[in-house]
Amino acid sequence: MAYRLVTRTETSLRAQLLVPLAAIVLTLLAGSVLFSLLGKNPLAAFHAFFIEPLSTRYGIGEVLLKMGPLLLIAQGLAIGFRARVWNIGAEGQLLAGAMAASALALHFDTSESAWLLPAMVCVGTLAGAAWAGIAAWLRTAFNANEILVTFMLSSIALQLLYYLVSGPLRDPMGLNFPQSALFSDAAMFAPLLDNTRVNNSLFLALAASLLAWIFVQRSLSGYKLLIGGLAPQAARYAGFSEKKAVWLGLLIGGAAAGMAGVGEVAGPLGLLQRSISPGYGFAAIIVAFLGGLHPIGIVFAAFFMALIYVGGDMSLVSVGLPNSSATIFQGLLLVFYLACFLFANHRLQKVEIRH
Amino acid sequence: MKNRIRVFRTAALTLAATLTLGTAQAQETFRIGYIYPSPAADVGWAHELDEGRRAVEEHFGDQVESVIVENIPDGPDAARIMNQLAAQGVDMMMLGSFGYMNDGLKTAKRYPDIDFIHASGYKTLDNLGNFLTRNHESSYVAGMAAGYVSKSNVIGMVASYAIPEVIGIINAFTLGAQETNPDISIKIVWLNSWFDPSKAQESARSLIAQQSDVIFSIYQDTPSVVTVAEEEGVYVVNTSSDMKPYAPTYLLASMKVSWGDYFIEQVQASMDDSFKGESFWGGMADNAVSVESISDDLSTEQRATLDARIAAITAGEFHPFSGPVIDQSGQEIVAEGDTLSDADLLGISWLVQGIETRLPQ
Amino acid sequence: MLDSIVFLLAGTLAAATPLLFAAMGEAVVEKAGVLNLSIEGMMAVGAATGFAVATISGSYVSGFAMAAIGSAILSSIFAVLVLFFLANQVAAGLAVGILGLGFSVLIGKNHEGQTIKSLPDLELGWLSELPFVGGVLFSHDLMLYVAIGMIILVWWVLSHSRLGLIIRAVGESPDAASAIGYPVVLIRFLAILFGGAMAGLGGAYLTLSYTPLWAEGLVAGRGWIVVALVVFGMWRPLRIALGAYLFGAVSLLELFIQGQGFSIPSQLLSAMPYIITIVILVIMSRNPRLIRLNHPASLGQSWHRNA
Repeated sequence: MAYRLVTRTETSLRAQLLVPLAAIVLTLLAGSVLFSLLGKNPLAAFHAFFIEPLSTRYGIGEVLLKMGPLLLIAQGLAIGFRARVWNIGAEGQLLAGAMAASALALHFDTSESAWLLPAMVCVGTLAGAAWAGIAAWLRTAFNANEILVTFMLSSIALQLLYYLVSGPLRDPMGLNFPQSALFSDAAMFAPLLDNTRVNNSLFLALAASLLAWIFVQRSLSGYKLLIGGLAPQAARYAGFSEKKAVWLGLLIGGAAAGMAGVGEVAGPLGLLQRSISPGYGFAAIIVAFLGGLHPIGIVFAAFFMALIYVGGDMSLVSVGLPNSSATIFQGLLLVFYLACFLFANHRLQKVEIRH
Repeated sequence: MKNRIRVFRTAALTLAATLTLGTAQAQETFRIGYIYPSPAADVGWAHELDEGRRAVEEHFGDQVESVIVENIPDGPDAARIMNQLAAQGVDMMMLGSFGYMNDGLKTAKRYPDIDFIHASGYKTLDNLGNFLTRNHESSYVAGMAAGYVSKSNVIGMVASYAIPEVIGIINAFTLGAQETNPDISIKIVWLNSWFDPSKAQESARSLIAQQSDVIFSIYQDTPSVVTVAEEEGVYVVNTSSDMKPYAPTYLLASMKVSWGDYFIEQVQASMDDSFKGESFWGGMADNAVSVESISDDLSTEQRATLDARIAAITAGEFHPFSGPVIDQSGQEIVAEGDTLSDADLLGISWLVQGIETRLPQ
Repeated sequence: MLDSIVFLLAGTLAAATPLLFAAMGEAVVEKAGVLNLSIEGMMAVGAATGFAVATISGSYVSGFAMAAIGSAILSSIFAVLVLFFLANQVAAGLAVGILGLGFSVLIGKNHEGQTIKSLPDLELGWLSELPFVGGVLFSHDLMLYVAIGMIILVWWVLSHSRLGLIIRAVGESPDAASAIGYPVVLIRFLAILFGGAMAGLGGAYLTLSYTPLWAEGLVAGRGWIVVALVVFGMWRPLRIALGAYLFGAVSLLELFIQGQGFSIPSQLLSAMPYIITIVILVIMSRNPRLIRLNHPASLGQSWHRNA
C-alpha cells in the first residue's frame, strides 16, 4: 500500500478546523509524557493549566488580560504573514509604542483630560508603526531581509527603553531607580471587571479583530495581500506591487504591536519600567499561525495561548511544574500545528501499486 | 528574555521557574510565600534570599511552611504570582526584587491580612515593609583591601545598573581604596543587566587588559567574573555571596549579605500581629552585611587595619562617607567632619573623584 | 596599550568562535535551500547539554559530542517538519527554536549558575611565547582552532568538492537536482542535521570555554546574529567568518570604550552590535546582482517530489 500527497484544489473548512484541534490534542499527549517524566501527575498539571485559571473570577480576568496584547499583535502580524512579510520584531514595536505613550503620559502628568488616553493610543500606535516602518524602508529601498532587521530593531528598542527609564523618563522622586513615575488616572484604561486587572484595552484588541476580518474578507487591499501571499506569481500578473505589500504588512503589524504596548503601560503596569512584555511579540507569532492566519481563528488561538500563560503560572504555584513547561507547551503546539497543517491543503491519495 | 535578545533575557520567551513545596500542609502552620527574580542557584542574590528562608525554617521548625516561586521576572506577571500565593492562603510574602514594588503595593492593599516584606524599593504600607543592606559598609572595607594589593593602581568594576545602591557601593569602595592607596583610579563597565554572564566575563577581561589588577563584580548574579579573575590571576571582590570556591587563590574578599536575622524577626512579628511596615536598612551592626574570605595575601598589619575598620563601622564609630567627600566634578559633597545622611545615600546619583568612568546618562 | 590590543584581538577570536560554529552549519543548510531560524534554540540545547554532560562525566570531549548530538536531534524535528510535512520554514524554525529554549532550561535545571573549569588552552610551546602574535593567535583552546578548521572545510566542500556541487544544486533547483537523480530530501535532511550539530558545538563552546558556566538565557540572541552573519556573508564561508570576527570585535570594543571612560550612553554602546549588523546588512543587500549570484534560489521554499 502506498500513498502520495496531493494538493487540495480548494482548502477544506473542515480540515482547517480539525488541524488546530488535532495539534492541541497532540500537544496534550506529548505534554502528559513530559509531565510524567518530570514526576508530576499529568491530570493535576492539566487541571492547573486549563481548569484552574477559568474557575475563578480573578483567573478569568487574568486570561483576558493576557489575551488582549496577544490578540492585537497576532491580528497585525497575520496580515503581514499572509503576504509572506516576516515581521518577527513585534516585541520591539510593542516597546516603541509603550515608550511613546509613556512619554506623553509623563509629560502631561497632571492632566485630567479625557483626551489624554486616546492621544496615548494614537501616539503609541504610530510609534509602533514607525519602528516597523524602518524595516519596511530598509527592505523596499535596500532589499534588507526584514526577518533580521525587525529582530535587531527589537534589541535596539530594548536598549532605548533602558536608556529612557534610567535617564529622561526616570521618576525624579524615585531615588534614581530605573523606572518612570506612576501615570495619572487619566492616562490609564478603566477596569473592565471588578477585582480583576483586565481593562478596557481589551476592546481595542476586539475592535482590531473586527477590522482585520473586514480588511481580509472584504477590502481590496486585504485581497491583494492574500493573493500576494498565496501565489506571488498571480499577484505580479494582477499588477500588485510587492513593495506595497511589504509596507502595508509591516506598518499594520507595527501599529498593532505599538497599540498593545500602550495597553500594557496604561493597563496592568501603570508606569514605564525595564521589563514591559514577557515576550508577547514572540508568542503572538505562534498565535497568528495557530489561528490559521485567519482573524476569527486568531481570536480562539489568542485565548488558548493566554490560558497556557496563566495556567503555566498557576501550575508553578499549585503543582510545582518548572516555568519552562509553558515555553515547551508553546513550542510543541506550533510544531504539531505545522505538522498537521499539511493536511489542510494536501490530502493523501492511495496509490495502486501494480506489479 | 534574560534580558537578551535578551534577546534576550532578551530570549524573552524563556521564563523558567521552579517551585518547591515545603512539608505537608497542616492547619496551624504559618505559610510564607517567597518570590525570587532568578533561580536560587549556588550563589548570588536569590541564593542569599533563600538562605534567609532556610534560617526561618531552622528557627521556627514545623511552625512555618514555605512556598517558593523562583525566576519570576519583573513585569506584568509578577502580580499574578502574588495573587496566586495569596489565593493559596499564605500569611506572609517575601518579594525578592525591586521590580515587584508597585505590584507588591497593589497586592498588599488588596490583602491587608497578609504581611509583606520587599527587597529594596522605597514605598511602605502598614503591611508592607522593605529591606536593604548597607553594602557600602562592607564595600569600603573591601576597597581598602583592594587599595593594598593593587600594584597598577587601577581597579576595574563590572557593574549592573547605575541605581543608588550600586553607586553607593562603587563610591564607598573607591573611598576605601583611596584610604590605603591615594593614587588609585577606577574604571567601570556598566552592563545594564543583573545577569549577563558572557558580557560580564568579557568586561572583566577587557578591564584586565586595561591594566586593572583588582576586579570588582557588582551584583552579577553568576560567578563568571570571579572565575575569570582566578583564571587570569588578578584579585577579585564580589557582592552578595561568599565566592571563595570559585576563586580559591585570587578572591580578595566577598561582600556577603545575610537576611536570616531580619526574616526571623519579621516572621515573628507577623505571627504575633505586631508587624509594622517599616524600612530596614541593615548594616554590619545588624549582622546583615559582612566581609568574608579576606585573602591571606594581606600582611598582618593590613589585616589588622581592616579588622579595626570593621569594628569601628560595626560600633557606629566610622561612616564610609565621612567628609571631605568630593565628586567627579570637583564639588565638595560632604564637608570635613560631616557624614552623608541616610536620605542622601538612598538617592545617591554622583560618583566620587578618582573614578574615571562617568555615570551612564 | 599593546596588552589592550592583544586582548582585543585574542578576545575577538574567542568571542567569534560560538558564532562561527553555528554560522558554518547554517551556511550549509541555507546553501541546500533550507532556512533554519531555530539556531538560538539549538545553541541553547547544545550549551545546556554540553555543560551537563561535561560536569557529570568530567570529560570535555563527551560534553561537546553530546552537545552536537543533542542539537542535531532537535534539528531533526525541524527537518521532519519542513521536509516531510512541508511546513513553512520560518514558522517551523521559530517553533523549534522556542522548543529548544524550553528544553535547554530542563536539561540545565540542576546546573543553573554553576561554573566549570574552562577548556584548557593548548600547549603550543615557543609559538605561544612569541611577542604579540603568540598572545593573539597561539594561546587558545583546541575548539577555537577546530572552528577555524571548519571555516576552511566548509569553504572547500561548498566550492571545490562534488558534495558541495550537489548541495548547491539542491539549493538552486531541487526539481532539476531531483531529475538528475540526487536525493533532495535526504541531502537537505543531512544538511539540517549538520547545521544542528554545529549550532550545538557553538552553544557548548559558550558553556565549556567562553563563559564558562550554564545559566538560562546564556545564548542571549547569538543565534539570530548567526542568521544575520550568513546573509551578510553572502552565503560564502570566508565572508561569514569575517563577519563573525567583526561582530566579536564590535561587542568587545563596546566594553573597552566604556572602560576608557568615554561619556557615551552605555545603552547606545550595548545597541551598537545590532545597529552595525543592520547597517552591514543594508550595505550588503543593496546590490541585487551580488545577492542573485549567491542567494540559493530555492531558499525557504518547501519542496516535495511529484510522482
